[in-house]
Amino acid sequence: MPVTDNPSAQDHIVLSVEHVKKKIGRKWIIEDVTFDVREGEIFGFLGPNGAGKTTTIRMLVDLIKPSSGTIKVCGFDVNKQQEQALSYVGSIVENPEMYTYLTGWENLEHFARMQPGIDRERIQEVVNIVRLDQRIHDKVSTYSLGMRQRLGIAQALLGRPKLLILDEPTNGLDPKGIKELRQFIRELAEDGLAVFVSSHLLSEIQLLCDRVAIISLGRVLAVGEVEELVAANAKYVIWDLEPVEAGKRELTSRQEIEVIEQVDRVLDDTIIAGMGPNAIVTRMEEEDIAGMVLHLVNSGISVQGVHKINPTLEQLFLKMTEGESIE
Amino acid sequence: MNSSKWIWRIVSIVSILATLLLLIGFVYAIKDIQYPQAGQTPSAAQPQENHEAKGPEAKKEIKIAAIGDSLAKGTGDNTGMGFARRTVNELAKDTGKKVILLNNLGINGLTTTGLLPKLEERGTQYVLGQADIILLSIGGNDLFQGAESAVKGIAGTSSTATGLELDPKDLLKGLPKASTQLKAILERIRAINPNAWIVYIGLYNPFGDIKDLQIPGNQAVSSWNQAALETINKNSNMMLVPTFDLFQHNLDKYLSSDHFHPNGDGYQQIAERIVQAIR
Amino acid sequence: MNSVLPLIKNETIKIIKKKRFYVILLILLVLVPIFTYAQMRSAEQTRAKFHGDWRLEVQQQITDNENSLGSDRVPEEWKKYRKVLVQQLQYYLDHDINPNEPNGVTFTREFMANSITLFIPLLIMAIASDIVSGERTTGTIKMLLTRPVKRWKVLLSKLVALYMFTSLTVVAAFVITYVISGAFFGYQGFNLPVFTGFQITGSNVDLSAVHAVPQWKYLLMQGGLVWFVSLTVASLAFMVSVLIRSTAASIVVMMAALIAGSILTNMASAWNSAKYLFMVNLDLTDYLSGTPAPIEGMTLGFSLTVLSVWAVAALIISFLVFTRRDILN
Repeated sequence: MPVTDNPSAQDHIVLSVEHVKKKIGRKWIIEDVTFDVREGEIFGFLGPNGAGKTTTIRMLVDLIKPSSGTIKVCGFDVNKQQEQALSYVGSIVENPEMYTYLTGWENLEHFARMQPGIDRERIQEVVNIVRLDQRIHDKVSTYSLGMRQRLGIAQALLGRPKLLILDEPTNGLDPKGIKELRQFIRELAEDGLAVFVSSHLLSEIQLLCDRVAIISLGRVLAVGEVEELVAANAKYVIWDLEPVEAGKRELTSRQEIEVIEQVDRVLDDTIIAGMGPNAIVTRMEEEDIAGMVLHLVNSGISVQGVHKINPTLEQLFLKMTEGESIE
Repeated sequence: MNSSKWIWRIVSIVSILATLLLLIGFVYAIKDIQYPQAGQTPSAAQPQENHEAKGPEAKKEIKIAAIGDSLAKGTGDNTGMGFARRTVNELAKDTGKKVILLNNLGINGLTTTGLLPKLEERGTQYVLGQADIILLSIGGNDLFQGAESAVKGIAGTSSTATGLELDPKDLLKGLPKASTQLKAILERIRAINPNAWIVYIGLYNPFGDIKDLQIPGNQAVSSWNQAALETINKNSNMMLVPTFDLFQHNLDKYLSSDHFHPNGDGYQQIAERIVQAIR
Repeated sequence: MNSVLPLIKNETIKIIKKKRFYVILLILLVLVPIFTYAQMRSAEQTRAKFHGDWRLEVQQQITDNENSLGSDRVPEEWKKYRKVLVQQLQYYLDHDINPNEPNGVTFTREFMANSITLFIPLLIMAIASDIVSGERTTGTIKMLLTRPVKRWKVLLSKLVALYMFTSLTVVAAFVITYVISGAFFGYQGFNLPVFTGFQITGSNVDLSAVHAVPQWKYLLMQGGLVWFVSLTVASLAFMVSVLIRSTAASIVVMMAALIAGSILTNMASAWNSAKYLFMVNLDLTDYLSGTPAPIEGMTLGFSLTVLSVWAVAALIISFLVFTRRDILN
């Protein structure tokens, strides 16, 4: 039932989530989630495990009903008009669990029967897209994880969706597979598909996505272009000074410089491990560094090292969530 | 991949058929249990094949079958043996051979009318066909119908002289028809088993000591026996064992408490006579 | 909108491909020969006991019963029963069938009567317990429910497929039992007369309506009743499968209920309200064969009503829960 008149096709918004909340038991798992996904973009959904990513995704595909708020796909309410809304959605929720006792082809036939207008040719088409044609008539139980992932994507693409939802798609894939998948998702987006990708791997989102929503503890903390969000944030500079106490006093006295006491709350373990025992972490603008070095030297403090930490989404995230641990 | 198409076709068609079949069965079951209709029996087919009758070869074994009325059954004998079982015992003693009672097909209250269709039953034919000696007792109920109905109960329970209710005139009324039927019975048994000895147990008058019934009873019994002899004499291997004289003056001694059937001693006397007759 | 038919097709293919139905057939193929062999051994023993000719035996039975027909002291209704019995025995002789020696059809009939409370329901559960919980255990339920299909349609397709296989299982049980036992005992016996029409009121059996039906018809009626019981068990197992995530747990729940039923049947005659439990009402073929019901007040109509109510309630619960529930994992 391809729907011809789309109630609200404005702005090419494929998925709109408005003030969605979900209470399970007595606990509010999702407190307030709002974002839009547009045609042709890859939208990242970033958050630590337990932040409510999976719950949100399940609400997007009507596995869970929100306690309040609305989710619309192409203008159709997912919870009230699920047949129309879900016909625009292809998804893999968590792992691509297929029927292992069927062959790949039989799995695709199975899901094809659940949606009108999918013929043999279309099945063959998606099989070719995900490059599974060699093994498609083998039982899924013999597939590797990467092949299952591809079969899952084939399944999601069957109904010619406008929105593709992938939950942690790189889970369990080897680096080569991850690279292939990334390439593949980009190609899909170039064809006008909106792709919604959730991940707890910040680098993944940064490499792949155009826009991102950051979720923590059931709330969306920020939504925006990945580049903008990164740029809008202050940078960290690590100082190695001698004597330490005097240097620290000097840094603290400057208004434009913020000295960070609890380093482990804002920085990665890998970075902390590379720092000397007396390193001082500050947040400051890049252009202030040279003047500060001069000032310190003039004050008789020897500057043994200055490290600029390139801003990553990771730190951005850490900052936003005030040090909530990711893994 | 075509397999799923075939799975679906076969499973759907077969399961729909199965469902229909079971549904019909379910409806039948409900109907049958909720609104049962008695007497609905499958048409009992007639025996199609004749069981080859085995003649009384000179074997070590002698097979005996008894058929007929309560006398054949042995009603009144406290030991339950009747003349059939007693004949078997006597004959075994006498000949030293193994004597087997195949079956005692005696049925209380059976008349000649009742016996004729029985002879057409496959089971009866089977039993008779195997026998070397067939003991037949029939006719008492044809003659003493009224009396019989009054003493139908099991021996020893109705001990009063019930024969009094019998109208003497009725005794002879059914005689002609019954003796014709007796003839038919004998001939039928002959046909079923051409080789066996057929021993017919003659009638006695159980009412010999009741004044009103003594004479008509005697008359009826002797004309019956006479009629029986007419048929029996025409056939070889067929004989009548008289009992009239046995009981004539020994009713007290040989009749059981129902005053109709012999008691154990009476049956023993009959059995001994049978053995004598076939020796 | 979407037709339910393709979904039923999906479920059917899954049940076949998952080899659930093969398991059932396999169980039958393994167990029936065992039961048949046991029956054959006991038949051999009886045959040894009646070293003589069975025809003489049967004829004597007929004569004995005819004798009791003549007696005034035998109640009229018992006479009717005996008349039918004589007719039945007569039939054996007429058709040269030894009633003491089982044939394929008789064995099937007796086997089914014994299987209705536990064995057949167990087979049904092999499919029913897995049909929803199996998808949850493997996680495929997420794939199933994120399609543009309403949930009640998905559940309905599973229910219809389950009912289809319930019918198939019942018929397969009959056919396999007949084919296997026939190989031991011979395939004849379809026209053998069997008694039915016993009306049980309390502890008394009213024999006035007793009559004989040919065994094939009896088998058909038995099949119908077994089928109804199976549908009820299937519906209940279906509900348990919706409610419980683990297939093993849902089988255990259903087995517990069924075994409780067979224990209660043996000891609950004093506890009158136990008759409203579904598991006490499973032995529908008892009404056909004239075995008194375990608890007073139970009739075929009563049992059918109790079973229907349980089944319908189970289905209502299944659909309410399934369409509303959040799929959390």
